[in-house]
Amino acid sequence: MRNNTVSSSRKVDFKRLTGLKGFSAFTAALLAIFLGLIFGFIVMLVASPANASAGFQMVLVGGLKRLGDVFYFATPILMTGLAVGFAFKMGLFNIGASGQYTMGMFFALYVGFMWELPPGLHWLVCVLAGMAGGMLWGFIPGIFKALLNVNEVITSIMFNYIGMYLVDMLIQGNAAMYISSKTRTAYLPASAQLPSLGIKNSSLNISFIIGVAVALILYIILNKTTFGYELKATGYNKYAASYAGMNGKRNIILTMVIAGAMAGLGGAFAILAPSTIAGSSMTYEPINVIAANGFNGIAVALLGNNSPVGIIFSAIFVSHIQRGGTLASLYGFKPEIIDVVIAVIIYFSAFAMLMNSTVVKMLKRRRSNKGQGDPGTFENAADLNKSQQVDKKGEA
Amino acid sequence: MEEFIIEMLNITKEFPGIIANDNITLRLKKGEIHALLGENGAGKSTLMSILFGLYQAEKGEIKMNGKPVKINNPNDANALGIGMVHQHFKLVEIFTVLENIILGVEPSKAGFIQKKEAREKVLRLSEKYGLKVNPDALIEKISVGMQQRVEILKMLYRDNDILIFDEPTAVLTPQEIDELMEIMRGFAREGKSILFITHKLNEIMAVADRCTVLWKGKYKGTVAIKDTNKEELSRMMVGRDVTFKVDKKDANPGKVVLSVQNVTVPSKTHKNNAVKNVSFDVRAGEIVCLAGIDGNGQTEFVSGLTGLEKLSEGSIKLCDTNITKASIRTRSKTGMSHIPEDRHKHGLVLDYSLEENMVLQRYWEPEFQQSGFIKSSAVRSYSEKLIEQYDVRSGQGPETVVRSMSGGNQQKAIVAREIDKRHQLLVAVQPTRGLDVGAIEYIHRQLVATRDAGKAVLLVSLELDEVMNVSDRILVMYEGEIVGELDPKTTTVQELGLYMSGAKRNTVKEIENA
Amino acid sequence: MDTIYYLIQNTLPVAIPLLLVALGGMFSERSGVINIALEGIMMFGALFGCLFVYLIQGNSMDPQLILLLGMVVAAVAGFIYSLLLSFAAVNMKADQTITGTALNMLVPAAMLLFAKMYFNSDGITTDVDFYLKGVPGLKDIPILGRMFFQNTYITVYIGLFFLLIATVIFYKTKFGLRLRACGEHPHAADSVGINVYFMRYAGVSISGILGGMGGFFYAVGVMDGNINGHTGVAGFGFLALAVMIFGQWKPIKILFAALFFAFLRTLAYSIALIPFLDALDINQTFYKMLPYLATMVVLAFTSKKSRAPKAEGIPYDKSQR
Repeated sequence: MRNNTVSSSRKVDFKRLTGLKGFSAFTAALLAIFLGLIFGFIVMLVASPANASAGFQMVLVGGLKRLGDVFYFATPILMTGLAVGFAFKMGLFNIGASGQYTMGMFFALYVGFMWELPPGLHWLVCVLAGMAGGMLWGFIPGIFKALLNVNEVITSIMFNYIGMYLVDMLIQGNAAMYISSKTRTAYLPASAQLPSLGIKNSSLNISFIIGVAVALILYIILNKTTFGYELKATGYNKYAASYAGMNGKRNIILTMVIAGAMAGLGGAFAILAPSTIAGSSMTYEPINVIAANGFNGIAVALLGNNSPVGIIFSAIFVSHIQRGGTLASLYGFKPEIIDVVIAVIIYFSAFAMLMNSTVVKMLKRRRSNKGQGDPGTFENAADLNKSQQVDKKGEA
Repeated sequence: MEEFIIEMLNITKEFPGIIANDNITLRLKKGEIHALLGENGAGKSTLMSILFGLYQAEKGEIKMNGKPVKINNPNDANALGIGMVHQHFKLVEIFTVLENIILGVEPSKAGFIQKKEAREKVLRLSEKYGLKVNPDALIEKISVGMQQRVEILKMLYRDNDILIFDEPTAVLTPQEIDELMEIMRGFAREGKSILFITHKLNEIMAVADRCTVLWKGKYKGTVAIKDTNKEELSRMMVGRDVTFKVDKKDANPGKVVLSVQNVTVPSKTHKNNAVKNVSFDVRAGEIVCLAGIDGNGQTEFVSGLTGLEKLSEGSIKLCDTNITKASIRTRSKTGMSHIPEDRHKHGLVLDYSLEENMVLQRYWEPEFQQSGFIKSSAVRSYSEKLIEQYDVRSGQGPETVVRSMSGGNQQKAIVAREIDKRHQLLVAVQPTRGLDVGAIEYIHRQLVATRDAGKAVLLVSLELDEVMNVSDRILVMYEGEIVGELDPKTTTVQELGLYMSGAKRNTVKEIENA
Repeated sequence: MDTIYYLIQNTLPVAIPLLLVALGGMFSERSGVINIALEGIMMFGALFGCLFVYLIQGNSMDPQLILLLGMVVAAVAGFIYSLLLSFAAVNMKADQTITGTALNMLVPAAMLLFAKMYFNSDGITTDVDFYLKGVPGLKDIPILGRMFFQNTYITVYIGLFFLLIATVIFYKTKFGLRLRACGEHPHAADSVGINVYFMRYAGVSISGILGGMGGFFYAVGVMDGNINGHTGVAGFGFLALAVMIFGQWKPIKILFAALFFAFLRTLAYSIALIPFLDALDINQTFYKMLPYLATMVVLAFTSKKSRAPKAEGIPYDKSQR
């Protein structure tokens, strides 16, 4: 993030650019995506050699034909991506986005069915309720972490299950919400559904715009406020943060609540989306399965380098290949191929930075072998000679 | 041609961006105690790590009894009879003494450890060399001196006869140091050869036969101890003459700034209290030094004083305000500045830029924020002022990521931040640890200047020279208690050592009268 | 009394997968690698174990022998899959939690893809009856015979056997000592010539073997020999992590923790058979939540005291000291 502020030298400086964290994160993400897609292509080749290249092409560019859907499906994972990425900034791994998402969805459903509010206000209250549900489910792991020192990963996982069972139980027990013969929820009243953006054959709605706005707000929080300063400081070094008098416990809870709010919004956005068929709505089936969008948020966050702005783009990208995956079924491929690709992308992003820096080092070495010594090759490692050299420059 | 058991010839070792060893040669005779002298960062530990197989040199060769040998890992070193006591002990805390000694060379049948056999050998060795240990004690439960014995026994258990000691005396009392020297002499008499890394001249004069000096990764020469003296060695070590004295006027203590009453802090590692019933005052315009061997409760006391840990008993008053239960932020606002012991763990956010670190204690003040938004221009101009004033050097000024700065400049940044912040009391914990002589002198001058500006300074130090030269008053801490108050002008290092090792103590009454 | 027999008979086949997988987690974490991928490893083992059973069923082999062979297949599969974690964690110094999450996400997706393509279903269904009515000779011992040797699965005895082996290896062999050293203080281990990378590979591999086996035993003992990409192993891999923490990374304590969780789960699924709980008329889903809720309660009370291996989760880098 900070890289954006390093703007004192206006001209484009390649050496400086490659040294920047944001740049290397970007190339690392590209590398991970590349490897993930290659893997997917191999799987397709094995499954059906004749159709593989056509199917793969569909994965790559198919989404372009359904741009409305790409943005529509990007919204929930944008929110869960923010939920994961924002907590990551503080050094917390919020694997519980899934449970927060489910809770947000339930709260939104509940308000949608049980409260009668004027149109124009109803959906807004539903969205806020969803946010509150997610906050609650983020608050609990936050409390466990801050006050009882229980690892947030375990807590989040457990609360994914607890939330899922709880929501299924509550929905099944509510006659107004649940149609047991169809094992799904009833159709939401139109007043509870989000205003559509009016794109043909697409459920794209206002939530995408809200989501992007929220991401920008998070960006400002992270980079311009004292809370963001504290949060990132804690993420980098929690001991230094407490030494500096920051209230670590409060910040942990607050961060998890905000993260939960993001995922909760995601759940609300997903279930409140308007249907393209009049008189119907999105529905939920309580079949004891954990929401996948929470986990896709991890991929989105990693690819976006945990930066809110990066996450906007990575969510769109992930949604894009998901749409492509769905379209690839025209050639007999199953949409799960994309889940495989996403898992592989996460796997590689976990060490893409390292691979990336190795590649960059190799390139630089080749360059400096050709030319003379390149002062731009120093890494951040303890590097006394360098700082002495630089010191001298500084004195001059 | 003399007999050398080990020859390290023209060794060069580079780390990314730094040449740690540049064409260094070291020859060790059989049965001698050979000191390896140099400042922090001179390359001593690197050189010894190469001999022990932890690193591989890029250039140069190692010969044993005249024949070239390859040492690719500690196993190779061990097979050649080379053993090493590391500066930071390499002991597994939850293992017993015996398990630590045999780790890596466990006597076993079909994979099953034969502990009985091992225990007998350990007891035999411990008897023979007077290194008493309890084989079944857990490492985390025994003292640092005892842990060092375990490290020595590890080498003996492996029948090593080339023994490397990496700064073995840093954690010991003067008396324990004497014992260690005696043990080392005993080893040498038996024909074992010893390499002894240190930067303490007295110890070299006392025990070594010869000394090789390194300076900034380069070889400066090897001298026989009987033909040299401290001054010459010190010149070789630092590359110039050093004054050991710090220039300062007499202290002019004013009103009490810090008052500590009956402070007790529980320990994290054992059931006893780490700090027991400690009381003292620090006045404006004086530097009070809390001296003692590492691990006698100083760290815990500072944690309690600065609010990182809770006290179990006692009270602390700062500028007449009771801050016993206050948060760290409140203490800071009340007038406490804190140069922490571990600058990487506590003092800096290494991945933040220099300017972000400069406001680490002040970002919340109205000067730097308005309704929660950081005023980046104010942060920039303030940090530029500090960088200028305290001569903090870095690659890209305020934008430099602190991780890429040298240790000395990182420490200068902390010192600048803590001294410039509005404060009445400066708590400085080992402020010169790991720094070179230039930076040490600089920081000492800053401490004295702070005192002369009418602030109270509490210095916590393990370095005897620093304790004697910088402070106006010395409080000695031993096993969590203040055991003596000394005047640096009238006391001697030996006297100080007796207090630090618990051999001597004042009664409470005497301290009050002092 | 019948209820008690029933509960014990049903608890053990559920406890065994938890036990084995938690033991696997213990080997991995005490070598220094956080293994959150246990869930995925279990599913991977179960997938291949069941696939093996599916391919071999119907040629009149003894069911218990099929089970044993399936176990070996599952163990090998788990081992191979765990290499992905070892490679990322040890060689690439990757974030272990993220890698584990990726591995957890990969298996269900791959399984669904595979099953849909080749079986046109969400998983693999087998029809070999692994159930053991009684162990000859032992089933007639009064009380104990009925508790432990009737209406059960052979997995119970295999699991306990592996507990014994694991405990002995962990505490009595030089391999165990070295492995534990790597999770506590890898630099100390390195300085006495122990290959930390190798030991961590070994720790993770053992967790792969035990995790794969545990997954297959889950499929056998809980799912009647089936595995499905949607429900997978129902969070047992994660529960095993909680069992491991509750068991303080020690084998015997892990056994008791596994029994505790398995008992809760069995209780949850047997409400209809226990008159007084049935009379309460609480939604069954609530009981399904119970093991997870219990985990949180237990962790809330134990985590302040619990002492994780010191070096776990930190990639070992020779040059940093």
